[in-house]
Amino acid sequence: MAPRLVVLSLASDFGCQVQLTNMTGELLDVLGLVDLSYWQLATSGHMPADYDVAIIEGAVTTDEHVALLANVRRTAAVVIAMGTCANTGGIPAIAGGLGYESRYAVVYGDGVAVAPGRRAPLPVDFFIKVDYHVPGCPIDTDEFLRVLSHVLLGLSDRVPDMTMCASCKVNETVCFYDRGELCLGLITRAGCGARCTSLGRACTGCRGIAPDANLVSAREIAARSGVRTGDLDKALRVYNALTEVHA
Amino acid sequence: MARLTIEHVARIEGHGNITVDVADGVVRDIRMDVVEPARFFESMVVGRRFDDAPLITSRICGICSPNHVLTSIKALEAALAVEVSDRTRLLRKLLVCGSYLQNHATHLYILAAPDYVGLPNVFPLAVSHPEIVERALRLKKLGNDLTTLVGGRPVHPVTAVVGGFTSEPGAAALAPYRDLLLGVADDALATVELFASFPVPDFATAGEMLALTAADDYAIYDGETAALGAGWRRPCGEYREFIGESVVGHSNAKHSTVGGKPFLVGSVARANINAGKLNDAGRAALAKSGLALPTRNPFHMNVLQAVELADASARCAGYIERLLDMGGSSSPEPFKIRAGEGGSATEAPRGTLYHSYGVDDDGIITRGDVVTPTAQNLANIDADMRAFAPTIADRPEAEFTLLVEELVRSYDPCLSCAVH
Repeated sequence: MAPRLVVLSLASDFGCQVQLTNMTGELLDVLGLVDLSYWQLATSGHMPADYDVAIIEGAVTTDEHVALLANVRRTAAVVIAMGTCANTGGIPAIAGGLGYESRYAVVYGDGVAVAPGRRAPLPVDFFIKVDYHVPGCPIDTDEFLRVLSHVLLGLSDRVPDMTMCASCKVNETVCFYDRGELCLGLITRAGCGARCTSLGRACTGCRGIAPDANLVSAREIAARSGVRTGDLDKALRVYNALTEVHA
Repeated sequence: MARLTIEHVARIEGHGNITVDVADGVVRDIRMDVVEPARFFESMVVGRRFDDAPLITSRICGICSPNHVLTSIKALEAALAVEVSDRTRLLRKLLVCGSYLQNHATHLYILAAPDYVGLPNVFPLAVSHPEIVERALRLKKLGNDLTTLVGGRPVHPVTAVVGGFTSEPGAAALAPYRDLLLGVADDALATVELFASFPVPDFATAGEMLALTAADDYAIYDGETAALGAGWRRPCGEYREFIGESVVGHSNAKHSTVGGKPFLVGSVARANINAGKLNDAGRAALAKSGLALPTRNPFHMNVLQAVELADASARCAGYIERLLDMGGSSSPEPFKIRAGEGGSATEAPRGTLYHSYGVDDDGIITRGDVVTPTAQNLANIDADMRAFAPTIADRPEAEFTLLVEELVRSYDPCLSCAVH
């Protein structure tokens, strides 16, 4: 029997789900291998009581999300965290930390109370065990297909540990630090093929910090290249606002 | 009093419920409860460097991210007094058009079409009507390929920055897209025919209509804001002076008004205001649709998006010809960081998108504001539902529900955008 699959989203921009619909060459093949039981973006119907695989996009930002995750973990044999919001808190986590409640007034003023049950953003694995990780903002569809095939074949999670610099070496991309420009490839998890740096854009760190990253050395290299002290730390906060929480 | 709730309305971007209060068979109230969680984007950009804003605000929406990136960049360029080249403007228009092809194909075929063929989703059509699904995927893929060609990837493009592009396609990469775009003319026309064949309720919105308008183009990337009913035109950067926003209790997204009243943005407003700017392909598609403009029927958003597919693909082919003729480079223009305020807009696939920022002497953002198309449409969606629901109150519940959902889906709502 094909595994019953649900796609769920918490606080996100739906970009990773859009990437799923963008697998125009493979989408119909994938749908032939699974029983798509719930996907609010693409199909009518209600969330079923039972399923095997849950794909979760987005950061946890409400009490309802917390309850949903507990339910998902009780039900699903396999949980996949899809995208950077689900994996590190991503961009939504910028709003977290000190002063989270004060942000409400910045956006809504003193208008009537909306957004009940809100809470500072956190990644999915802060609440439940995650079996497979697909980082990226948004996900790379080839990487997603690789992870999904691992899930279907019962293979283990194999998210890359090394930093982006290895990919730039393979691509023979000239290092941004040689031009005195800040680049987060030094510490960011590889796996996207270093797409941005090959297009003249420094890595902005959207895949999160690599386990192999050496932040102390990265700061030294940045300083030696003339990048202002603190700029690297400030830049890495865009996608890793919660990193110290997890260190 | 009976209450009907349609929870987590399917096939729209984001999370929203529709609540209907009925008493003695009469619809007393109906509204869209936007439960999509707030992420407080306007607060996130404050204190960060100006060039983080396009990166961060792009994540408001994974569907129309090219529009968020470019609207943010244009607003910053207004604040920093940066002028960009004609070549950069053309490449940016290509990026928006790629987004139109991708978005309109997704909305029409994956999100809206199942309503009209009695299916929960589009996937069974792959077996029963493979030519329709293949057409949808062809249009979507061309949109994605075009966005990737110019922006580096289909969602959250990376090459567009303040002043220009960090990388751009050469003539050899660009040239084939001219024919690829002209090659989807039949697909676009077939899309118009398909959606023109779906019967839609005879309904007229009471709302005003707003869209960008430009002298030289069917406005998607720049222009002034025009109001169809009132007849005025205003610089889009001054949007905070003509669009009012208010917090409402049933929605995490604010509601917008113009002159204190609900209004509509999107394909119906654009086509009504800019019909004279449609190209030959667009005019032929409009003729094929059988629609007479102006129309006040929001259900016509779908078929007019299909008309825009025909127009945009031919228009893009023209942009590419001009890019090939002019040559040159879109490397970022040099500029000085200075304090300033600036706002701007683009036409996202589902309506006008506004951003504005304040920047200090060091290029640090002091204020950010984003008004998205769906945030502008929400008050009008509620008003339309209140006017429409009583006319179908005698229908069986399943049919009533579907018709209300069809009305909402016609607006192509994006609730992640609306709340942000």
